Amino acid sequence: MAARFLSKSSSGSSLLGALGTSLLGVGSVARQTTSNLTYSDIFFQQQRTFIQMGTKLKVVDNSGAKRVMCIQALKSKKGAKLGDIIIGSVKEAQPRGKVKKGDVVYGVVVRAAMQRGRCDGSHVRFDDNAVVLVNKQGEPIGTRVFGPVPHELRKKKHVKILALAEHIA
Amino acid sequence: MRLEKCWFCSSTIYPGHGIQFVRNDAKIFRFCRSKCHKNFKMKRNPRKVKWTKAYRRLHGKDMTQDSTFEFERKRNRPQRYDRINTEKVLQAIPKISKVKATREKDHITKRLSVGRVNRRTEDRRELEQSISLVKAPSVLKEDATLTLPKQKVTVSYAQTENTPMEE
Repeated sequence: MAARFLSKSSSGSSLLGALGTSLLGVGSVARQTTSNLTYSDIFFQQQRTFIQMGTKLKVVDNSGAKRVMCIQALKSKKGAKLGDIIIGSVKEAQPRGKVKKGDVVYGVVVRAAMQRGRCDGSHVRFDDNAVVLVNKQGEPIGTRVFGPVPHELRKKKHVKILALAEHIA
Repeated sequence: MRLEKCWFCSSTIYPGHGIQFVRNDAKIFRFCRSKCHKNFKMKRNPRKVKWTKAYRRLHGKDMTQDSTFEFERKRNRPQRYDRINTEKVLQAIPKISKVKATREKDHITKRLSVGRVNRRTEDRRELEQSISLVKAPSVLKEDATLTLPKQKVTVSYAQTENTPMEE
């Protein structure tokens, strides 16, 4: 598979450019694709890792923030996984909200692109990295949660988020 | 415990295998192994990928409609546990799967039997038309013994050796 695409790239970078843009146009996936499309094997084998310092996450509640950058993943040296709590800095916020840009907030990771193992042996992975802002006690700041959430949150005692969720994966 | 079907290849996913991908519109895709998962990430349509069940069913290679499929249909209504029923079901499952397997095999044999008949007629036609590649037609006409090998004629070995040299 990789060999076939490498041979294609050698025939003409314009061909691969066209291939790359058509693929990007079709998908609605908010994936971080590399701009350098000559190495098309990177495009297909994207290695997903933990949520660490510097990771930008989407905020999926109505607390006012839109994007949050992780500044610390609590409880792990490697980084946060699905269901963990992170400390983040609000990078982008809606004009009238409970949270403003530049605030330091706690958040619970509700969707992670890195797969997480479940106790029955299967793995789950989501489409993007998303977070729900909480206060120090673990209660959500917003009143609604958008998108699917995993039921790993029940074990981590984030029951309120599960109650607000519209779909539990 | 529930045995799921792989979204890509339609094989059963046993517990402990595979990856579940949850899309943001809350649709869950289950894959039995990384082969199917990677094909999905490449945005391949399983109906166009030859080795998947979806392709085979679509193109009539495998059986599509049969009464044995009714047993495997997903029923969302929970059933109260009934011991006698459960025992009966557990006894019936291997029988049903055996019947299903024989029916599927028969479907494939029936589909391939047309090719067998075609190949035989082709071979017969080729034998009749292209026998000249083996022996010249003039030679065949001369000696009645030099027909298609099926005829058993007692001929001395010396005579058969001489006649091809006449060409």
